[in-house]
Amino acid sequence: VKFVDEFRDAELGQALSTQILAELDPGRHYKVMEVCGGHTHSIYKYGIDDLLPSNVELVHGPGCPVCVIPMGRVDDGIAVAHNDGVIFTCFGDMLRVPGSEYTLLEAKAQGADVRMVYSPLDALRIARENPDREVVFFAIGFETTAPSTALTLKRAKAEGMKNFSCVCNHVTIVPPLRALLESPDLRLDGFIGPGHVCTIVGARPFEFIPADYGRPVVISGFEPLDILQSILMILRQLESGRCEVENQYKRVVPHEGNLRALEVMQEVFELRPHFEWRGLGFISQSALRLSEAYRDFDAEERFEVPNVRVADPKACQCGEVLKGVIKPWECKVFGTACTPEHAIGTCMVSPEGACAAYYNFGRYAREREAV
Amino acid sequence: MRVARTGGSMAWCEDGQGDGHEVAIELVMPVEVGDAVLVHAGVAIAQLGATL
Repeated sequence: VKFVDEFRDAELGQALSTQILAELDPGRHYKVMEVCGGHTHSIYKYGIDDLLPSNVELVHGPGCPVCVIPMGRVDDGIAVAHNDGVIFTCFGDMLRVPGSEYTLLEAKAQGADVRMVYSPLDALRIARENPDREVVFFAIGFETTAPSTALTLKRAKAEGMKNFSCVCNHVTIVPPLRALLESPDLRLDGFIGPGHVCTIVGARPFEFIPADYGRPVVISGFEPLDILQSILMILRQLESGRCEVENQYKRVVPHEGNLRALEVMQEVFELRPHFEWRGLGFISQSALRLSEAYRDFDAEERFEVPNVRVADPKACQCGEVLKGVIKPWECKVFGTACTPEHAIGTCMVSPEGACAAYYNFGRYAREREAV
Repeated sequence: MRVARTGGSMAWCEDGQGDGHEVAIELVMPVEVGDAVLVHAGVAIAQLGATL
């Protein structure tokens, strides 16, 4: 497949690995954060960390959309789903995210009409097919996914749909990165930038990282060679004393992003004053809600929701994992009480979650042996 | 995915396994048959150019 196969070449991967080893300072420890959950998944799926020298440490960032949803928001969704006549739709990953008492999947087992969709446009189609039912879409995701929700709501408005609404949980990536950079817990040397978010927002929103914090950012694709090359580009910046935003993923990411998508998002959404992130707490202007022009489609206005903050289970350390403070296998319940089949924390639910990636690709057994 | 046919703001696209998907293309228009597009949640978010 073009754009895929050529970026999975094992020999080129080895060559990049050798080049990384040759160009770094063996006396220095490099800590690089991959911001996006898609990168975390690729890193463990393809064993990229095994190709890196021991003094290059990859730290997982907060860019898994499912992982950052706090329990209280799941409870809000479940409350909406239990309303008579509601068809509640969401992406498949969301079904298994634990609320304070149970998941959306368990709500479905109790009789709520909860349906998995691949796209918000599928939810809109269900609304067209069921004019006597209220159809609600539980929207999650970063700037990569927000345009699909925005486009769907634009279509719903144009069609005059009265039975369609949305619980908007869309978040933005820059505010949590700033929060992490301000955190005394974490010393990071550079960032692997989120390629698909940048497809929408472009490179400019990340320029504050080199400008204000003196750390390089390389916007990266998701194939193994993309990630290895991005790590090499970060190390080269560090070794040469440069500090800037570079774009390794030029075949997809234009510098200015997707202006049409940004325009649609601008019309449909506005920034929330603050939003709770799982493990990171409340972060100002870090999430989106529906703009005044689209307020009629806001399910939080249409239905009663508990809107209660719920603390994470004591045993769960998703917060520390999301901040890169601990590795997934260092969590007390990793692989024992918390597994992909019976997840306690969100990081074990989505394939993009760091814990699920570790668990699914065999890191679990190896790291335990090492301990 | 590769665009197999277009119709208005939607396109029929095929993934690497040859499976077909209906995709909204208005954020990346104009696209032509044979173009590769990056699709997220049923919506094309980037145009990658011709693949044929």
